[in-house]
Amino acid sequence: MARSVWKGPFVDAYVLKKAEASRESGRNEVIKIWSRRSTILPQFVGLTFGVYNGKKHIPVNVSEDMIGQKFGEYSPTRTYYGHAADKKAKRK
Amino acid sequence: MARIAGVNIPTAKRVPIALTYITGIGNAKAEEICEAVKIDRARRVNQLSDAEVLSIREYIDANLTVEGDLRRDTQMNIKRLMDLGCYRGLRHRRNLPVRGQRTSTNARTRKGPAKAIAGKKK
Repeated sequence: MARSVWKGPFVDAYVLKKAEASRESGRNEVIKIWSRRSTILPQFVGLTFGVYNGKKHIPVNVSEDMIGQKFGEYSPTRTYYGHAADKKAKRK
Repeated sequence: MARIAGVNIPTAKRVPIALTYITGIGNAKAEEICEAVKIDRARRVNQLSDAEVLSIREYIDANLTVEGDLRRDTQMNIKRLMDLGCYRGLRHRRNLPVRGQRTSTNARTRKGPAKAIAGKKK
């Protein structure tokens, strides 16, 4: 079920604070965040976030299309290179 | 023979049924069209006058996305997801289920026919 509109979008407070600080400083640096559950807001467009995937921070350049989605969607947590058998079959 | 929305030539069926042969028109939309252009749903396509066929055509052109346009729209939406680099896009790229279904078993619609794995059976 979708989230109630009256609650507004969910964003961890520290993400907002960090984003604002980086915007003021004007430097275009990666903002490291762990909050994969935060919604991407319109004021984040143009900033670069390093979204933690459990191992490292994946740089995500926020564009307009991403608004309304969660940061976690842009930082895959699983690595999968296929099965050995599949690779053998492909080589033939 | 009646051509509605480009290539579709529905047959001697009842109007709402015949309209569902067009991509993007299901039962609900077909009924809606009949309602809007005031055609009795029991009538068949070959009983329609040219003016009635024309009014159906105009209604579809004005209000609905259908056939090639619709297919292009869906394709564009999928392409947008793939270019974004988000999770749903990744799943589309890999041809795996997008909405969180299990893939250990099943998911054959997306994965295609099962591939035999050598030496799996005892």
